Amino acid sequence: MHTPVYAAIGYLFLLLIVRSLKRRPGAQMTPFEFVLIFLVGGVIILATAGNDRSMTNCWGGVIVICLMHRLTGQLKQRSRKLGAIIDGTPVLLLSKGQWQTRDMKAMHIDDADVMAAAREKGLKTLDQIKYAVLERNGGISIIKKSE
Amino acid sequence: MATTSAPSQTKPVEDSIAKVNNEFAVGSDPEFQFRWERFESIVWAILIIFVLLSVAGVFGRGPAAKSRLQASDGSLQVEYERVQRFGAPSLVRITFPASSVQNGSLQLWVSESLIKALGAQRVIPQPAESKIDNQGILYTFPVTTGSGLVEFSTEPLSIGSSQIAFGVPGKANVQAKVFVLP
Repeated sequence: MHTPVYAAIGYLFLLLIVRSLKRRPGAQMTPFEFVLIFLVGGVIILATAGNDRSMTNCWGGVIVICLMHRLTGQLKQRSRKLGAIIDGTPVLLLSKGQWQTRDMKAMHIDDADVMAAAREKGLKTLDQIKYAVLERNGGISIIKKSE
Repeated sequence: MATTSAPSQTKPVEDSIAKVNNEFAVGSDPEFQFRWERFESIVWAILIIFVLLSVAGVFGRGPAAKSRLQASDGSLQVEYERVQRFGAPSLVRITFPASSVQNGSLQLWVSESLIKALGAQRVIPQPAESKIDNQGILYTFPVTTGSGLVEFSTEPLSIGSSQIAFGVPGKANVQAKVFVLP
């Protein structure tokens, strides 16, 4: 009986927690983020399903979570502001040879993270980067300097 | 045969994404980001306070949740958790002085809320007799010598506030308030 309500509250709570984490787990998945995702997921499921591990109860929880996800997606699409609250906004990390140090510190990103993303683009040194942006999904986009 | 297809919907591409240095469409919003960081700090402060209160037992299962009540005539003492959690096991411990034992047995009356709200699962020791009595249950425990201890293990079944009462027949009752968190 409680599962649908707990699932909805759990969804919103996890959304807030994950969004409040500086570096969003997603594109740049390290063991550090794996620990977080598995442990948080494992703990929240205990509170959601409780002692009732029946198929009826668990399916109810899954459906509510999917409905919440769909509803959130629709609301995001209607309001850009809500989209920014839920997903965040891209953050500029490097612009024309200048590190954006305040934002990097705020997002817990360092030059090694940017270089890791640059290597994926085939770049060998940081000075080949024109812009680096921390995307909403946690990945870092690199725009290289033109030759 | 005529076929129908969904009308295509299009709109012209506009320059709707905010640019950096007037050349790079990033869509960043430094002002929003700054406000969000302040909000995040508040969220984390609240979460840390929540954890500290939780460790202290304000939300049950800790020192701050434990309570002890004594009947005005000293006929029994109740130790319990005033804040409990839905479906989480807890203990209600009732101790009696030797003066509460009469004719080799001890009688304990508990309100039915102990079963309805707190979901009493088990009572230790096993009572010799239990019967429904005055919106509660009257237990009779055989006692060989001296004072006694009775424990109820509970597992709350409903969320919210409830009141439980304990008493030795003919003596003062003890009223305990319990709040069950989700």
